[in-house]
Amino acid sequence: MKKTTKGALLAVAATLSVSVIALGQGQGQSAHTMAQSAAHQAKSASKAIDLQETGSTLLWPLFQLWVPAYKHVASNVFLTPSGTGSGVGIAEATQGVVQIGASDAYMSSGQLAQTPGMLNIPLAISAQQIMYKIPGIKASTHLHLTGNVIALMYMGKIKYWNAPQVQRLNKGLKLPHLAIVPIHRHDGSGDTFLFTQFMTDTNAAWANPTTGVGYGTSVSWPAVPGALDGVGNSGVVQIAARTPGSIAYVGISWLNNALKDGMGEAMLQNRAGRFLLPDHATISAAADKMTAKTPRDERISLIYAPGPNSYPIINYEYAIVKETQANVQTASAVKNLLLWAISPKGGNQASFMGQVHFLPLPASIFPLSKAQIEKIH
Amino acid sequence: MKISRLFGRVFYGTTGFAASSPLLLLLLIGGVLLYDAWPAWEYQGWSFFTGISWNMGNMYASGAVTHHGVQAAPGASFGILPFIVGTLGSSLIALVIAVPIAVLTAFGLVYKVPVRASAILSPVIELLAGIPSVVYGLWGLAVLAPFVQNGLGPLLAHLGRIIPYLAGPVGTGLGMLTSGLVLAVMITPVMIAATRDLLMQVPRLPVEGALALGLTSAESVRYVSLPYVRRGVFGAIILAWGRALGETMAVLMISGNANNYLPPNLYSPISTMASTIAALLDSALTDFTGMAVHALALIAFTLLLIAIITNLLARVLLQFGHSEASVEV
Repeated sequence: MKKTTKGALLAVAATLSVSVIALGQGQGQSAHTMAQSAAHQAKSASKAIDLQETGSTLLWPLFQLWVPAYKHVASNVFLTPSGTGSGVGIAEATQGVVQIGASDAYMSSGQLAQTPGMLNIPLAISAQQIMYKIPGIKASTHLHLTGNVIALMYMGKIKYWNAPQVQRLNKGLKLPHLAIVPIHRHDGSGDTFLFTQFMTDTNAAWANPTTGVGYGTSVSWPAVPGALDGVGNSGVVQIAARTPGSIAYVGISWLNNALKDGMGEAMLQNRAGRFLLPDHATISAAADKMTAKTPRDERISLIYAPGPNSYPIINYEYAIVKETQANVQTASAVKNLLLWAISPKGGNQASFMGQVHFLPLPASIFPLSKAQIEKIH
Repeated sequence: MKISRLFGRVFYGTTGFAASSPLLLLLLIGGVLLYDAWPAWEYQGWSFFTGISWNMGNMYASGAVTHHGVQAAPGASFGILPFIVGTLGSSLIALVIAVPIAVLTAFGLVYKVPVRASAILSPVIELLAGIPSVVYGLWGLAVLAPFVQNGLGPLLAHLGRIIPYLAGPVGTGLGMLTSGLVLAVMITPVMIAATRDLLMQVPRLPVEGALALGLTSAESVRYVSLPYVRRGVFGAIILAWGRALGETMAVLMISGNANNYLPPNLYSPISTMASTIAALLDSALTDFTGMAVHALALIAFTLLLIAIITNLLARVLLQFGHSEASVEV
């Protein structure tokens, strides 16, 4: 019964995006044939393999960097990434629509029980920052915010930027009497998952299992008139940047875009009470405290780490992959790609990581991810 | 002889099947949707249509909850009144704006504009009707929303003293008014094209006769052309309304996608039924109980019902309209 529902709704979705797919396929095929003829000319024996990646818009900029680089490693593999939101990444990977689903959120136990044989493989460590658009606050000034105060804003309990709770955290800064406009992700999103986990950790009302919002890739947001939703990190940045008074959670690979659009970046209070920005030092400090607890299936939240220098919102960037692939060639292509991606000399090298402000996989986690990748067949 | 009889039968069978296909398709789509939606109906009941809280539940919870014999994620509650209000609100705004413009434009094109200009304008209108909705969405986001935010919104908000629903705050321009405006721009060309084609079919003689009797062109339109095409124009309006009700992409981009509240004023962010289905399907697929997908199917079924009801209602209204028209003529 569930299958027919999925089928019917997917059919509707498919019809909606027919033209897009047609375009994409057209390009893919022409690239395909061109490469094939080139391969023939080179008398190469290797067969062209198409790999589809979809999901997390936070991981997407990194995949964009990887595609041209991986061409030099395996010229017969045609990798097509798309940023569609972690919800899509998980859903399409479990359905076998794509080979690699990207997600900032690990799969829930309930989902894994329903779709066994899914791997959650960390590829790198990422972070999320809280951003705002307040006219008159200089970019060099970073507002101090706590998880609790942000939760109150998103619940509509704090309505203006100059509310006493906000002003108290930012002594000496003159905040305007401007309405706060919370911005959410509308699509199923790993960023929503990370943000709502942070809220759950820092605000008791949010965490309340019966009346609270809780956490997930898609949650039922508190009704705050005027609050807006954007689709993808790009949509959130676009809407937040043009809305005075906005506050938004944005994946760190979109930090440069958001800063360019005139958004401010908040210093968040960590568990130890210090206000920090996400950078290499604070993200790795948090990772140091949390990664040792990583279980073998690597599904773990790294949010709100202890330690004086730990930035509170960091996470593993997951590749969601089916253990059993369609055929041997695809399986080995996926395997090789992921092994290259987590390798410090491959996809995890500093030149890629630095551009999106990610951290490479810690040396202690590398064997865990490698062991999971080896399971693909 | 034999062959011609066989041919007759084949023709009878195929045309019969083809003719009944619209009804079969409607029944098939409705049936499948209802079948898929049924668990959500069992779970939520009538409060599905009257509730204002949409919550797919905690998908990271350790177990499901059972309610009325069906399973859902803990905390799940499906109330779609805000989506219904958003859908009807934005599409009605679109109709109020688009209908007079479209009808007057069509009359102008057929009776007033020189034939040469009309020959250029007509294809342009058909071109407008064919623009993908995502383009309209982008345009709405980049051009119309700032205009509503800084120009039209504050202007209309002054009328808030007379009509409370127009009072501010105007917000960011992403919301019901902008959605209605973009929908109006999207459906106007469809209506113009249909109305123009209808007017072209009005017999020349009665129109010329009316002019010969000394009626002004406005009067000839009022008493000759309009009654002749009224029924068809009504059909065009219903068709356009259907498009506005079901528009997904453009609305998703400019509606602001409100959560869990009814729009307190004209400028408030909204969510529509179609945009909700499109945006939440993938999150719903991660619901391990499957209930979220059933709930989306129930939204789809409701949208289908609304489309059918508006259509039937329009036909009933048309009956009245028609009898009046014949009296006037």
